[in-house]
Amino acid sequence: MRRPLIPRKLAPCLRALPALAGLALLTGCWLDGRQSTFDVKGPVARAQLDLFMVTVYVTAVIFVVVGAVLAYAMIKFRARTAADERAEPPPQGHGNFLVEIGLVSASVLCLVIIAVPTLKNIWFTYEVPDVQRANAYEITATGYQWWFKFEYPAEQIDGVGPLVTGNELVIPAGRPVRVNLRTVDVIHSFWVPKLAGKVDMIPNRANHLWLQADQPGYYYGQCAEFCGDSHAIMRFRVIALGEKEFALWRANQEQPARSVAPATADAERKPRAVFASFTTHPGAALSGSAEFDADPFAAWQEKQRPDPAGENPALAAQGRRLFQEKTCIACHTIRGHEGVGVAGPDLTHVGARTTIAAGTLENTPQRMHDWIADPNHFKPGNKMFNGGYTDPATGRRLIVLNETEIDALVAYLQSLK
Amino acid sequence: MAEAPAKSAFTGHDQPAGAKSFILFRRPTAKTGLVAWLTTVDHKKIGMLYGFFAACFFLLGGVEALLIRTQLLVPNNHFVSAHFYSELFTMHGTTMIFLAVMPLNAAFFNLLVPIQIGARDVAFPRLNAFSLWVFVAGAIILNAGWFLKAGAPAAGWFGYAPLTSKTFTPDISADLWTVGLQVLGVSSIVASLNFIATIVNLRAPGLTMMRLPVFTWMALITSFLIIMAMPSIAIALVEVIFDRHFGTNFFEVSNGGQPILWQHLFWIFGHPEVYILILPAMGYISEILPTFSRRPLFGYPIVVFSGAMIGFIGFGVWSHHMFTTGMGTVATSAFALATMAIAVPTGVKIFNWIGTLWGGHLRMRPPMLFALGFIWLFMMGGFSGVMHSAAPADSQQHNSYFVVAHFHYVLIGGSTFALLAAIHYWFPKFFGRTINEFWGKVSFWVIFVGFNTTFFPMHFLGLNGMPRRTWTYDANMGWNEGNFISSLGAYLLGLGILIYLAAAVWSYFRGEKAGPDPWDARTLEWSIPSPPPEYNFAVIPTVHARDAWWYEKSHPAEIAREKSAHARDEAAHGGIHLPDQSWYPLVAAAGLLTAGLCFAHDNFVGAIAGGAILFAGIYLWSLEGPGGYHVHPETPADAASH
Repeated sequence: MRRPLIPRKLAPCLRALPALAGLALLTGCWLDGRQSTFDVKGPVARAQLDLFMVTVYVTAVIFVVVGAVLAYAMIKFRARTAADERAEPPPQGHGNFLVEIGLVSASVLCLVIIAVPTLKNIWFTYEVPDVQRANAYEITATGYQWWFKFEYPAEQIDGVGPLVTGNELVIPAGRPVRVNLRTVDVIHSFWVPKLAGKVDMIPNRANHLWLQADQPGYYYGQCAEFCGDSHAIMRFRVIALGEKEFALWRANQEQPARSVAPATADAERKPRAVFASFTTHPGAALSGSAEFDADPFAAWQEKQRPDPAGENPALAAQGRRLFQEKTCIACHTIRGHEGVGVAGPDLTHVGARTTIAAGTLENTPQRMHDWIADPNHFKPGNKMFNGGYTDPATGRRLIVLNETEIDALVAYLQSLK
Repeated sequence: MAEAPAKSAFTGHDQPAGAKSFILFRRPTAKTGLVAWLTTVDHKKIGMLYGFFAACFFLLGGVEALLIRTQLLVPNNHFVSAHFYSELFTMHGTTMIFLAVMPLNAAFFNLLVPIQIGARDVAFPRLNAFSLWVFVAGAIILNAGWFLKAGAPAAGWFGYAPLTSKTFTPDISADLWTVGLQVLGVSSIVASLNFIATIVNLRAPGLTMMRLPVFTWMALITSFLIIMAMPSIAIALVEVIFDRHFGTNFFEVSNGGQPILWQHLFWIFGHPEVYILILPAMGYISEILPTFSRRPLFGYPIVVFSGAMIGFIGFGVWSHHMFTTGMGTVATSAFALATMAIAVPTGVKIFNWIGTLWGGHLRMRPPMLFALGFIWLFMMGGFSGVMHSAAPADSQQHNSYFVVAHFHYVLIGGSTFALLAAIHYWFPKFFGRTINEFWGKVSFWVIFVGFNTTFFPMHFLGLNGMPRRTWTYDANMGWNEGNFISSLGAYLLGLGILIYLAAAVWSYFRGEKAGPDPWDARTLEWSIPSPPPEYNFAVIPTVHARDAWWYEKSHPAEIAREKSAHARDEAAHGGIHLPDQSWYPLVAAAGLLTAGLCFAHDNFVGAIAGGAILFAGIYLWSLEGPGGYHVHPETPADAASH
């Protein structure tokens, strides 16, 4: 978030004042977040917002009229003095049937104003419109506790199956995308507010939704159905790309994992990254630094480019070995390298993602180090720690990683562009 | 509470032929002390116990809410753990709905319904005690997890399958939840049958249905909703229990179970449940506004009819909680339209309340302030409800903080404000003292401001994409300010509730003494002393009009004549008959508690033993018979006729 450099603890207090004064309502400054349902970027979300605004206008008119009458009655008929209170009671009338009928009719009319666009949009938002159906791009999204797998049925890789990514969904911009919604465990819900409202991923039920990003961009999404303790940190990103860029991205993704140049004597002497021990900064975002948040889409594009100069081949090679030795391969696929597991996200091109841990942490070496060192801190109950690092039944530690080993794993994973 | 009657000449126990004098327990006769409360069958004492337990759970649920808000005060907070947070919001929802608002309403049903219909107790006094103690048993089972290794239930208050399965909740917290709710369902159904029987059968002479006080009408409709809605969740809970204990596959995904079935069964109960929580509130408001406007309720038949309509349509809108489950276009449209339809009878009520104020002499006492606050806030909650009926728009708001804002406007702004109004209004009737007016008004304003500060920003948080049940959130989402303000508001709201309670407790001991009719009110409860005697009415009243007491006040000579005639008739029948106290409702409920706790622990021997105690209790209570005794109070009518 673009925050000014005022003390972070003080910032909310300072902002609370104008907000309390109702300015929020006037300026809409509370509706410009990364998952705003008002800052819509595609036809589905736009239809939903337009319909929402119909309901807002209708109810606002009713509120003004009814509220004015209520306020008037409260002021006008108020007993002001003790004498008022002891006065003869007012006439004991029992109601007026015509008034009632009139008000019921008016209410029904207001609801019809809402009902007509509601029905129209129920059909529109349910399925890709006929004229565009042939052009729709298909994705299968699968919910796991607590991350998302994305499969591309249209991109079949020889001898492997469809292209698979995790937690960052890349789609073509300006084209309808039909997302099949599946889950392997409990109910999850797929929600990218700027592109479309949510639809649930329910076991034994083949749901779908459609969405479209009008422009290339970087969009935030999140699971929207309580799915266990770490539900709040089951997040994902959607990156929409122009036609050419999307083709390039696909071509790169279909490649097996990248191998760094073999280690030379030179590389051995390269300085190793130094990681700070993990500290939380109140008010600081975990999923994006200030620079990142200024333009996440540019940051994503930057992430796609390998940086051979900054790499330490010896360390990356050691990381690749550790990835096997420490049994990471049992849960993670690294296509073309050793990993074959499917219980965790596919990491074939993890270095090219902007986030790790299901959209929770920015994908920097420091953050990846923090994550590997203590995944349970960021995502309590996650299966990498509970079942991977430790045996949940006994609490016995199964995988122990020292700082050097984590360094090597980070170097390896970061090289997987 | 109830003073011994001025001339409490006990004429000795009636002994029905063949009945034993006692079995296992001697029939208790204590009128004060612990035994009196544990064995009472007096609807007023039972109502107070309901109120006491519900108030405790209301505070517990409030503390849970404050812990939730403290966790969300700042982004990426680790004030509570993710699992404890899941327990907190699960138990906050479950507690507030089942252990606070429902039993508070049950408290008022107990306190008011018999008196408003001119009766001396409910139709089945011992059954009434049984539903109270079963409620306590269910509450204990639900909360037992806090003290066990398994922890409290943590799958959300609507416990969506398959999160409640053995796979995803291997510990017994889910068993405590299912069994606890099942036990509470028993309590609710038993109580509702009792109130239906009471309202249908025990009305005073002349009290036709269309003269019933609106609160009693709403109690009747609510009772029908409960007996029709509860079986649905009972079935759903049985299915979860069977999946967990006996290997069935209702929701077992790997064997073809359908988790979506749980949602349908749950919401067929869950949506009427919303009206179970709000219809009594509409009842309180429909009593309080006329009293403090000094006018009859505007459009009484339409208010009653719309209440029934709400109850009826309320069974046809459940899937609006499921607009995002991919129901398809036709089902979604049907439920969207039904949901819009239910807004009409709800709106009609608001129009009629405003019509009641119109042309009145509004006396701004604390009950009236809370009632007016109710109208404003409930209206807001209604508007966001209409917004949800537009299904495509709802797919953005569903499970977001917008929904959290919506239902708190309805359940705090609606139900709770109405309850706070009702407590102020009827406090003098049952405790003989009025709550301090100044501190009552202060508490109103603090609660009103605190409430809106807490929940109004949540609309924006939801529209800004914040999902509910969020243990934490990142700092770059644009949610920091809204959450910070909301949390501060929650502390203010908590302070307001404390002021409210402190004023009530202080007034219980030191408040201004109230006469029988401190508010110049309109319904029968105000015609009897404050606090009411055990037998409520020295003489059963005859009802001549809708606001029966208002009519009595304006026709004193006619009423006095009538009462003395009735008093003579009643004396000729041997005086006022009251039922004996009994241990068995408590014993039976204790059996159910034992059975529930043992079953949740897979201890089937204990469960069967508990079941045996339950049935023994019920059998013995049938065997001991109603018993009863006569009292012969000096009536005002007597005095007048001497």
